Amino acid sequence: MAIGATHIDHIVISSNDSAATAELFARNFGIEIKRTMSRPGTRAHLEFAKLQEVVLEFAGPGDVQPYDEVKARLSGFVLAVPDIDAAVAELRAKGVDVGEPHAAVQPGAKLAGIRSGTNGVPLALIQYGALPIPAAEDA
Amino acid sequence: MKAKKIDHVGIVVKYLEAAVATYRANFGFEADPARGGDVPAMGIRNAFIPIGESDIELFESTASEGPVAKFAAERGEGLFMVSIEVDDVAAAVAELRGRGLRVGDPSPAGVAFVSMKSTHGVNLHLVQR
Repeated sequence: MAIGATHIDHIVISSNDSAATAELFARNFGIEIKRTMSRPGTRAHLEFAKLQEVVLEFAGPGDVQPYDEVKARLSGFVLAVPDIDAAVAELRAKGVDVGEPHAAVQPGAKLAGIRSGTNGVPLALIQYGALPIPAAEDA
Repeated sequence: MKAKKIDHVGIVVKYLEAAVATYRANFGFEADPARGGDVPAMGIRNAFIPIGESDIELFESTASEGPVAKFAAERGEGLFMVSIEVDDVAAAVAELRGRGLRVGDPSPAGVAFVSMKSTHGVNLHLVQR
């Protein structure tokens, strides 16, 4: 059996200044930042670019400190699956430590982190269309 | 330069065959038998797992020195690099150098390494297919 992963959905680049790292990648490597997300209370600032089917997610703190040096690193990647609950059940049956699927920041998506069986790579699964998308709040 | 797509992500592992078996057993992934093997020039052995339009590259250090050996010694295993496909790697290298970035010469296989000093510390490769 396989979990049915279809592609790498996104790669996470963590930075102490995610806006600066996203800008550096956009300026030098010809990627386009399509969306930014900085919600009060989440303590995170996210910026997203897409290269065909793979999203680059730049993640960092919401309140950037005056660092001497911006430091970033690859912090993991996420595989798209058609049925996250089935994939999680299958991995658990194989003895892989997988977190409970939960709502992702991507609207309508569920995400589950994988904590073993990846040769040290922070890996997660995501399923789009797994949850109803909340209607936009009236202004 | 214009990034076309994510070509692959690279994962350093201790034992290549064991890692390939782990990814097969846990995720149902199959390594491409037509690619991979010893790469003496880079001090690695590798295997490629196609997934969607990209690959997962698993590689084991076979050298005592170099960036992969250093990563393996310090961290054991883990996510090491990401590779972006470009149309013309030589032109991309020239353009990036013109902007002051530190980029290695393209290899005969069409791969160029961007210095981590030019990427905020992210290990980034450019590749022309």
